[in-house]
Amino acid sequence: MTAVALTQRTARFRPARALRLEIKHNPGVWVLPLLAAVFYFNAFRTAAGYPPTWTLRAAVITGPNLIFFTVIAAGISAWVATREGRRKTGDLLATTARAAWPRQLTVLAATVFWMVLAYLAGVAVIYGMTAFQATWGGPPWWPVAAGAVGVAAACAVGFTCGTLLPGRFTAPVVAVAVFAAWFIGVNAANSVWDVPNASSARGSPALLVATNGGRPQDVAVGVFYHAAPDVSIAQVMFMGGVLLVMVALPALLPAARVGGARRSSFAARRRWLTVVAAVGIAAGVAASATAFSLAGTARLSAVTGWGIPALHDAADDQPIPYTPDCAGGAFAVCAHPAFAPYLGAISAALQPAVAEVVGLPGVPARAEMTTGDTLPAVAGTTSVYQYSPKLEGVGGESFWVTPAMARAAAWEQGTQQDFITWFVSGPSAQEAPGPTPAQEAVAIALLAKLGAPVPPGYPQFSQPASQSGSSGMSSGSATQPTATAAQITAAATSFQSLSSAARHSWLAANIVGLRSGAVTLAMIP
Amino acid sequence: MNIELTDVTRTFGRNKAVDGVSLAVGPGVFGLLGPNGAGKTSLLRMLATVLPPSSGTLRLLDRDPGRAGARTEIRRRLGYLPQSLGYYPSFTVAEFVEYFALLKEMPAHQVPKAVATAVERVELGPRAKARLRTLSGGMLRRVGIAQAIVNDPDLLLLDEPTAGLDPEQRVAFRSLIRDLGQQATVVVSTHLVEDVGAACTEVALMAEGKVVFRGTPGELTARGEGHEVGDSALERGYSAVLAAARKQVHA
Repeated sequence: MTAVALTQRTARFRPARALRLEIKHNPGVWVLPLLAAVFYFNAFRTAAGYPPTWTLRAAVITGPNLIFFTVIAAGISAWVATREGRRKTGDLLATTARAAWPRQLTVLAATVFWMVLAYLAGVAVIYGMTAFQATWGGPPWWPVAAGAVGVAAACAVGFTCGTLLPGRFTAPVVAVAVFAAWFIGVNAANSVWDVPNASSARGSPALLVATNGGRPQDVAVGVFYHAAPDVSIAQVMFMGGVLLVMVALPALLPAARVGGARRSSFAARRRWLTVVAAVGIAAGVAASATAFSLAGTARLSAVTGWGIPALHDAADDQPIPYTPDCAGGAFAVCAHPAFAPYLGAISAALQPAVAEVVGLPGVPARAEMTTGDTLPAVAGTTSVYQYSPKLEGVGGESFWVTPAMARAAAWEQGTQQDFITWFVSGPSAQEAPGPTPAQEAVAIALLAKLGAPVPPGYPQFSQPASQSGSSGMSSGSATQPTATAAQITAAATSFQSLSSAARHSWLAANIVGLRSGAVTLAMIP
Repeated sequence: MNIELTDVTRTFGRNKAVDGVSLAVGPGVFGLLGPNGAGKTSLLRMLATVLPPSSGTLRLLDRDPGRAGARTEIRRRLGYLPQSLGYYPSFTVAEFVEYFALLKEMPAHQVPKAVATAVERVELGPRAKARLRTLSGGMLRRVGIAQAIVNDPDLLLLDEPTAGLDPEQRVAFRSLIRDLGQQATVVVSTHLVEDVGAACTEVALMAEGKVVFRGTPGELTARGEGHEVGDSALERGYSAVLAAARKQVHA
């Protein structure tokens, strides 16, 4: 061996070429069809059923979809990590110049490549679909980063388990363990949502895992206000920390570094490797611990969702300026541009309802979408009908549907129920003590003219039919005598049978009294 | 000397697999003979830096494999074919050899040519793109030899290299290791004395963990004169030395 030849041999490992080989032969490819099926049934269909707003669609990315991806990723990584043991290449590999840890990192990187690629492909499909449908805003990237780092971390967890505990059953055990960890974490995370109102919600480290089944608390999240990325940032920190620890850990364990030749004390630690691993573990623990403690300080805001004070950008608390999109003629219907695809359906539902009451005191001149959680307090004193996408109204319809579904009769009727009950009763229709029997009868009559059924929120009508006609249930109003569904229905039928002009004339004279509760069932013609 | 062992011992629990072996081997083809359990594989694994000796001194390529940096340098110049070759079935012949060329930290620009040369030398050129799972046992053995020689090693350790090879391939293999032995130290551990006779310039016979004979194949043959066990002169020499060693141990 000449000196020149010795010098030539000092050239270092070319990870790119080795990585290409590992990627080509990684069993991660085998599970791509499974991941595609999981994505389709679990994420794609859920996202496709959501309104086409970016933040809502992004919520799917870190929802149950991430759980199933990470379970599969951890399992396949554990399987890959046991390759050297299963294939009995330990002796052969132990005699190569390349240290075991960098060699195994290449194998892990190939697995991460396929798993993260599959995950990002799913994100691309959801975001691509949303790009064609959304009319406002842009894609949030922090949830994508949290998901990608989560998948990579799951790969590292599985790989490290497979490296340290090589065996035929390691992969399934790791997959089950990761699923169990998610199950416990998600249950704990969901419990933090179980609060009567936002102000009483307190943060928890459980927020670091997927929350609320991938469904945000309201349909308008990220529309009127920015969705604070604080939790996603903390998730990236936490899972990034887990990733670092799991990647670095095997480097400190001689048994793992010799790739199967476990009895070899030739695996004595290389100083640089030990230092790199120790720094990696320290950084990982610090990142995860920081995220853990930050999540505990989170506070739930009604407008921006979970915020972490240390990570929060105050600018996120300001409303996002927008110019409403409007449709319709004499009665204009306006919506936030993010909900522009619904404008036609809203207008089509409201125009005939408004026509039934046009000219009466308090009839609004237009409809506007608001950020509010409640409808305006006093109907009739405003010339604007305000509706909120956050509310599931009297009709039970909400914006948790696609624009196509909003064109269905049920959604249209629900929208009309919301409008008519608001016009006749005001917000009392949704709150105790609820509408009076007279308000119910008039609303039912007006809705019947529109072809819409009795609003589901009316207490007498929500009982079984055998009881509703004779039980003498209270109407819920403290100021009026009780009435049964049969009595209310009879009054509604009578009112509906009036001519349009007679009905309109009676309403013009009595609508104010009707709203105030002064009109009784017996007074309805 | 590429191999220097001084009173090297390797134990597994109470079993002393290698017992006080001292050897100094330079370039050439060195045959390691012995019955099952003689300690050949354990000795070879120590030479391959898989196992450290339990006691004694081991120097390879003028370096101490006990030191991490020196061990890496040794491994860059080492080729090893284990007795039981593990492999990845989905890899092709060329990919498997290339994988080990990369792990042996060969200069990147030399890898493609080195892989092609190694595959050709074991006469697997036409099957270079075949997946390993499709190969016969003999072909897999040749793949193992190809990965061992891909880095043109200064120290080549072959444990039962001709197992599974047909006669024609064994002849070709002997020619190959004679060629390699011109520059490098080639240690061939085998049961097949005819391989030793045909290819080795020097031979050691191990029994009960000790080296009980060291010399040329001709000298081993000479030890068999008058001995009746064995079909060839070399086999008779092998049997005679082994019988004498056993007698000595039992005495």
